[in-house]
Amino acid sequence: MPLVPPATLASLDLPGLLDGLPLGVAVLDPEGRVVTVNTALERLTGFTREEARGVPCRHVVRSGLSHRRNQEHGTADTEIVNRHRRRIPVRISAIPVRDTLGRELYRLDVVEDLSALKELERRVEEPGGIGRLVGKSPAMEHILRLIPAMAQSGAPVVVIGETGAGKDAVSEAIHKLSPRTREPFVRVNCGPMQPEVLEAELFGRLQPSGEVAPGAFQRAGAGTVYLSDVGELPEALQVRLARFLDEGVVFPAGSQTPERCEAKVIASSPSGPEALVRSGQMRQDLAYRLGALRLDLPPLRERPEDIEFLLAHFLDIFAAKFRKKVRGFTPKARRLLLAHDYPGNVRELRNIVEFAVMVCHKPSIPPACLPGHLLEQLAAANKGGGL
Amino acid sequence: MRTKRVLIPLFKDEVAPRFDLAAEALLAEVSPEGGIAVQDSLLLQPSADGLCDLVLRKDVDVVICGGIEEKYYHYLRWKRVEVLDNVAARAQAALERYAKGSLKAGDILFAMEEAHAR
Repeated sequence: MPLVPPATLASLDLPGLLDGLPLGVAVLDPEGRVVTVNTALERLTGFTREEARGVPCRHVVRSGLSHRRNQEHGTADTEIVNRHRRRIPVRISAIPVRDTLGRELYRLDVVEDLSALKELERRVEEPGGIGRLVGKSPAMEHILRLIPAMAQSGAPVVVIGETGAGKDAVSEAIHKLSPRTREPFVRVNCGPMQPEVLEAELFGRLQPSGEVAPGAFQRAGAGTVYLSDVGELPEALQVRLARFLDEGVVFPAGSQTPERCEAKVIASSPSGPEALVRSGQMRQDLAYRLGALRLDLPPLRERPEDIEFLLAHFLDIFAAKFRKKVRGFTPKARRLLLAHDYPGNVRELRNIVEFAVMVCHKPSIPPACLPGHLLEQLAAANKGGGL
Repeated sequence: MRTKRVLIPLFKDEVAPRFDLAAEALLAEVSPEGGIAVQDSLLLQPSADGLCDLVLRKDVDVVICGGIEEKYYHYLRWKRVEVLDNVAARAQAALERYAKGSLKAGDILFAMEEAHAR
């Protein structure tokens, strides 16, 4: 292959070439000062090339390597803190640029953003769960297997479960695992609210100026609209929701002009659609449309094998959060906690552990550090039995 | 206005590029008239938590630093410590500029220093 003539090389638009690369690149002089950076690195670090010019590279690419006295060539995985105070995992490759006599003229620092890769690794390595969802029982493992499949479908999902069972966490997990993850996740509580206010909150409202004040569907765009307590939705709005699910259009309050919307709908309720229809809280046509994909979250009392796992899981989280050296529960506290039936489900268990870790100053949490109401309930339930 | 106690995490003689990785820090007092008295030079275990503890223990009013993570920035602000972050400069230059009342978060003084040197 013929060598590129020097004149041709000199005439190349190198800055343009660097800007076309998907990786961040900093061109450094032999003293390690920035000659220029490309567009990808401007985005990653938050520093423009004008600001970075002449500045020691360690103040622009603020990596874990920047505090070493001597920068080495080669590749290293590390993290940077960018101008927007975000810590970003990166892979940095330092490449010397030499002339034909072997003298080092410049150095290229090539910076690859590893955020997406690390996020994927974190999800894979998460102990027994997805996002905020954890559980080791067969029932939870079944749900954790279903969630990724439901996330790939554009069909509406209905999540059924008692209070505190994790309906919100499941809905967020479905959104996060879906191709819509970069789009908004808009949450609307359909609980007691004036129908007109709820209508505007959901579908938007036509203003006197002629503009539409966006509702949840407009804000979500191609993302997800999560309707919690969907059984509380007034009938008139149920009709409009069913129409959206059929035709993919919404009508803002006060407007006759349909607006197309690509959002996925996830609805949650403590009771299943058929029970809501029986009690007259939900129109049958909406129940059929919403119930295309359905997840039933079992209450904690029906999966006792998760209790111990969740106790350990939340203990780790809160011990780290409060910087306490709490490693477990005393045998008696553990027996008390396993005997409780958790009417408030995972949320109640989480709150109990948070309280216990907060008040405990010992390596193991004794019964005295558990919330008083729990001890009273258990004492009443076990009167004469002795735990 | 009263005398302000200023802490600068250091890398050699520069404001450390990273708050969490600084192994030294400079503690100084800046009087309302602009006088600077360097109080102490501290050796640290590089740790953002440790540095935050030190800031509170030494009653620091102002931290001048390079890159700092959001959570530590907000923690210090919550503790009513002024944080001038994203400063890229030699520590002395940053301190002098602060004493004159003209240092802002995001100031990059290196290129300017080079221009003066020439």
